[in-house]
Amino acid sequence: MSSAKSISIREMNKFYGAFHALKDFSLEIDAGEFLVLLGPSGCGKSTALRMIAGLESISDGTLMIGDQDVTEVLPKYRDIAMVFQSYALYPHKTVGENIGFPLKVAKTPPAEMEAQIKAAAEQVELDHLLDRLPGQLSGGQRQRVALARAIVRRPSVFLMDEPLSNLDAKLRGNMRAELKHMQSTLGITTIYVTHDQIEAMTLAHRVAIMKDGVLQQLGTPKEVYSDPNNLFVAGFMGSPPMNFVDGDIKDGTFSGEGVAVPAPGLADASGVAMGFRPEDCQVVEAGKGKLDATVFTFEMTGDQTLVTFRFGNNPVVVKMPNDFEVAAKTQTGIDFDTATACFFAQSSGERLR
Amino acid sequence: MSVSFSKPGLFEPRRIGEMSPATKILLYSVLIGWSLFVIFPIYWLVITSFKTPATVNEGPFFIPFVDFQPSLHAWADLFIYDAADTFRAYFNSIVIAFSATALSVFVGSMAAYSLSRIEFAPNLITILYFVVLLVGAGVAIGVYGSDLWLTLAICVALFFLLARAVGRLYTVRLGNGDILFWIVSQRILAPIVVVVPIYMMFQSVRMLDTHIAIIITYAVVNLPIVVWLMFDFFNSIPRDLEESAQLDGATMIMTFREIVLPLSRTGLAATTLLVMIFSWNEYLFALFISTSKAQTLPILVAAMNAGERGILWWTMSVAIIIMIIPVVALAVVLQKYISKGLLVGAVKG
Repeated sequence: MSSAKSISIREMNKFYGAFHALKDFSLEIDAGEFLVLLGPSGCGKSTALRMIAGLESISDGTLMIGDQDVTEVLPKYRDIAMVFQSYALYPHKTVGENIGFPLKVAKTPPAEMEAQIKAAAEQVELDHLLDRLPGQLSGGQRQRVALARAIVRRPSVFLMDEPLSNLDAKLRGNMRAELKHMQSTLGITTIYVTHDQIEAMTLAHRVAIMKDGVLQQLGTPKEVYSDPNNLFVAGFMGSPPMNFVDGDIKDGTFSGEGVAVPAPGLADASGVAMGFRPEDCQVVEAGKGKLDATVFTFEMTGDQTLVTFRFGNNPVVVKMPNDFEVAAKTQTGIDFDTATACFFAQSSGERLR
Repeated sequence: MSVSFSKPGLFEPRRIGEMSPATKILLYSVLIGWSLFVIFPIYWLVITSFKTPATVNEGPFFIPFVDFQPSLHAWADLFIYDAADTFRAYFNSIVIAFSATALSVFVGSMAAYSLSRIEFAPNLITILYFVVLLVGAGVAIGVYGSDLWLTLAICVALFFLLARAVGRLYTVRLGNGDILFWIVSQRILAPIVVVVPIYMMFQSVRMLDTHIAIIITYAVVNLPIVVWLMFDFFNSIPRDLEESAQLDGATMIMTFREIVLPLSRTGLAATTLLVMIFSWNEYLFALFISTSKAQTLPILVAAMNAGERGILWWTMSVAIIIMIIPVVALAVVLQKYISKGLLVGAVKG
C-alpha cells in the first residue's frame, strides 16, 4: 500500500531516429490529481504516457515520481498501474487470476491475495464473474477487469491510455462517471490520455492539450475552454468548436468583411482571427447583430438546435434553444457578447491579449 | 418477437439431422468413400505384414483368413532373428528425432521471440569483417597450418579493432526483416547441395556415424522452419500483454513463463509436430552420415528394398508399421493444442 505521489516531468524529449516525437515536455502533477492529456492522434500524448510508465525510454529530460528520480528506472520499480486501450487482459487466465496477477508477482500470501482480489472485484461489481475467462465477458466487463487489476495493488500512480474508447457511447458515459468517482475515492494520482474532449472536460482536474509533441496549454477544463492560449486549443475544445472570423485590428477595433467589433487594449495587427463560442451568440433579425450571414444548414440535436452559416470562407455555428426554427438560405443577423470574443494572430496562432 | 423456421438455402450449412435422406446418403457415401481411399494403404500395409513371402508373391489377397492365412513370419524375422538391428534402428530414430526436435524448437523459438521483440541493427560492414576473418582463419589454419588458438586470438582482436575503427564510417545497417530472411533462406537450398560438405566436415572431426552428428544436422536443417513459424506466432501475441505484466512487476523470465509460454502453446505444439515428422522421416542426411551404429529407421526400411533377397515387402510392412506408431502417438497427444489453436482466431473479440 502506498499513498498518492506527485509527478514532475522536466523537459522530457523523445526521438525516434530523426523524428522528434515529444518536444521539451514539462508538467507538474500534484499528488491525487486527475490530469488528462488531450490531443489529436499522433500528438505524442500516448508516447508521453508510455515514457512515464517506463515502456519507452526517455531520450532527454528528467522524470520524478514523488521525490525519486525514475528517469532510468525499470517500469516495475515505478509503482504505477496502467490501463491499456486494449485492456491487455491475459486471455488464458480467469478474471480472478487476471486481477490477482500483480499480487501474485508481489508474492502476496494466498489468503490476503484472495481478500484483496475480492475487494477489488466488488469495487467494480465483478465479484460474481471471477471464474470466467476474459473471452466470455462483454466489452464493459473486460474494461472493469482491467480497472480492478490496476487498483488491486494500490499503486501510487494510475496511467490510463484511452481506456474507454472501445466501449459504445452509452457505456462510455456510465464508465466515465464511475471512473471519476473511483479516482476521487481512492485519491490516486492519475494521468489519463484521450482524444475525446468531453472525457477530458468531465474527468479532469486539469487538462494538458498537446499538438505535434508540444504542450499547448495546461489548465482547468474551464480555463482551457473559455480562455484558450492559441488558435489550436480554441479550435480543438468545444463541440461544435469555436467560430472564427478573419480580419485586422486597427485603433482598438477588429474589422473584417462585414463585421466590426471593439477589441479594447489590443495593438494594431493584420491577419487576425476573432473567435467566439457557438453558445455565446444568438440568431437575430438581419442588421441587428454584429454580423449578417445566410443560413446554410439547420440541425436539431434534441436538447438544442445548431444553425450553421457561411460567413466568408468560414462556417459559423450558433447554438439555439431546441424550439428555434429558421428556413435555409434566410439572411439573418448573428449577435454575441463582444467581451467573450478572443483574438488570435493567424500566422503564429498565438492569442492576442 | 417471432421465430422464423425458414429453410436454409442450398449451400448454407445445416445440421445432419435436418437434411433430407437423399442428401444424407450422398454425404455419407462421399465421406465413407474418401475414408476408404485414405485408410486403404494402411490396411494393405497391416495385412501385408502378416503375409508369408509366398502369399505376397501369389497375391494380391485382401481379406485375412479368407484369401490367405495370416502368419507372424515377417514379425518374427524383424523382432527375433534381426532383433538387434531393428531395436538399434528404432532406438536411434527415437533418440535422434526427439533430441533434434527439442534442440531446434528450443533454440529456434528463443531466436524467434527475440526477433519479434527486440530491434536488432547489426552493421553490414561488421558482418563482412566477420565473414572475411572467418574465411581467413580457416585458410590460415587448414592450408598453412598456423596455430589454432593464436590464429583465433588474432582474428578476434582484429575483428574488434576493425569494428570500432571503421564501423562508424559505414553505417549501412540490417534490420530484423533481413535477419529473418537470412535464416529462412538457409532452407531454400536443397539439402542435397550441402550433403557432401557436411559429410566432409563430420569426417574431419571424426564424428561420422554418431548420434550427435545427425542430431546437430537435423536441428540446423529444421531451425529455419521453427524460427519462421514461431516468429509469426509470437508476433500475433499482443505486446500490450507483456508490457502490462512488466508494469505489474513481473520480471522478464516470469513474463515469458506466465504470459508468453501459455499463449504460444498451440504454436509450439504445431511446430514440434512438424519438425518431429521431418526428423523422423529424414533419409538423405542419415544415409550419408550414418553407416551402421547410428542408422535410423528410414535407412533400415530402404535397405529391405535393395538386398540380394529381392524386395522384402513383408518385413518392410512391419518396419513401416512400427515406424508410424510414435508419430501417431505424438500427434494424438499434441492434437488438442493444435485444434484449440485453430479455434482461437475464430472466437470474436
